[in-house]
Amino acid sequence: MSSPKTPTLEEFRARAALTGLTLTAEDIEHLHKGYVGLLGLMDRIPSTWAWAAEPPHVFRADK
Amino acid sequence: MTDLTTLGIAEAGRLMARGEITSSALTEAFLKRIEAIDPKIHSYITVTADVARNAAHQADREIKGGLRRGPMHGIPVALKDIYETAGIRTTGHSHLKADYVPAIDAETVRRLKDAGAIILGKLGTHEFANGAMTPDQPFPAVLNPWNVAHQPGGSSSGSGAAVAAALCMGAMGSDTGGSIRNPAGYCGTAGIKPTYGLVSRCGIFPLAFSLDTAGPLAWTVEDCALMLDVLAGYDPNDQGSAKSETVDYGAAAHGAIEGMRIALARSWYEAEDASVTPDMKEGIDEAVRVLKDLGAVVEDVVFPDIWDYHICGRVIITTEAHAIHRQDLIATPEKFGYTTRRRFQLGAFISAEQYIGALRFRRQLHQDTRAAMRGYDLVMTANHWGAPEAFAEPQPVFHFLDKPSLTMPFNVTGQPALTVCCGYGGDGFPLSFQLAGHAFDEASVFAAGAAYERATSWRMHRPKL
Repeated sequence: MSSPKTPTLEEFRARAALTGLTLTAEDIEHLHKGYVGLLGLMDRIPSTWAWAAEPPHVFRADK
Repeated sequence: MTDLTTLGIAEAGRLMARGEITSSALTEAFLKRIEAIDPKIHSYITVTADVARNAAHQADREIKGGLRRGPMHGIPVALKDIYETAGIRTTGHSHLKADYVPAIDAETVRRLKDAGAIILGKLGTHEFANGAMTPDQPFPAVLNPWNVAHQPGGSSSGSGAAVAAALCMGAMGSDTGGSIRNPAGYCGTAGIKPTYGLVSRCGIFPLAFSLDTAGPLAWTVEDCALMLDVLAGYDPNDQGSAKSETVDYGAAAHGAIEGMRIALARSWYEAEDASVTPDMKEGIDEAVRVLKDLGAVVEDVVFPDIWDYHICGRVIITTEAHAIHRQDLIATPEKFGYTTRRRFQLGAFISAEQYIGALRFRRQLHQDTRAAMRGYDLVMTANHWGAPEAFAEPQPVFHFLDKPSLTMPFNVTGQPALTVCCGYGGDGFPLSFQLAGHAFDEASVFAAGAAYERATSWRMHRPKL
């Protein structure tokens, strides 16, 4: 993905403040661990797509 | 006297048609067994005994009068408690919906009732089909009928446990990343995630719109096919619903499989970084041998990496689930269970670009899977890694960081996927594999699964409670 930089806890805390959720310090630390783990796995998702590579709006298994 | 609660749907239907048993007798047998056994495994949240008795009496009157609605007429079933039921509370196993009583039935419930099925009650689930069985929820955790110290799998936990414990003849579940097939596997039942779009989700609590599917669990593959016969069909009130041909799945379950070509996705479950238990490997190897003996051709085929499907589906679920539950996460976060809340909150940190990237990746995986399946009718692979976790073990909040989900590939591709029991491990837990077909080819999936069941004796073995 094109957001490869793993956020530090401090950077993540700043993002958390913008989510609109009520989060405690413990919540944020825990979510940071989950997000960093998820981000590591997301390296598998290609970062470069043709600009017009349109995702399915409503997924249809037969298309 | 036959124990009515261990009859299959097909067999019970035949006996009712011949007047040898009644729906009322069948329903009473299940209500009695629920009263005696369910306190040991907590599969039901709500038992609708009076509603069931009234429906059973009506079914008996109709059958006696010559009206036969089909194979589900008079058959007692139960519903995961995310299926809305008119006049009966639908809780989602959550404090947030503990007192919610819908005004109308989900489309699938309406179809089951129209087909004459008897609704015994509502079944426990992971909170909103996503969380885990934790003590901070309004109803007790569902326990595994093979060993109550262990998880039954989820999120359709009550559905798997109740079918295995003979507390209903079939149950409705939902499957977004494996939530029908996980409990089916861990509880030793059959269960099918239908093709995305085949069965209406209207009136079912959503988890992730673009992946959610609804489907049945039952003791046998044939019984799942009979349930799908009444569930499948276009619904204009479901945005993802497809106009597909009507198929007789019950008949398909008796189809021959000679010459059927099956692609074995062995690399998904036998890899250096993650492999099934030796018992599971042996069970699947033996199942391959049985299918070959039945005339199928089974060959190893390389598919995209299992982790690719896993992360693609997980990003989509995490993002869409957050969007669906966001208002409640802001207004009343304390009403969610701890694990559910954390998993739903995580979606707030996924960017639009990351979500769209996952959707684009989904299309690519769909195309690559179809290419790998060229020349094959079915994909076969493991259903789960090994024995279910014990309740005593700590439950990871972000469970997706550990091992990839073996069920996720077919949520990402939308293909139909069936769980089939293939024996029991040395620890007593069921072993199982998946059979997945091309989109809307549930018929081939049922044919192969039912042929395997008929050729083996695993369906004779029930948990002792």
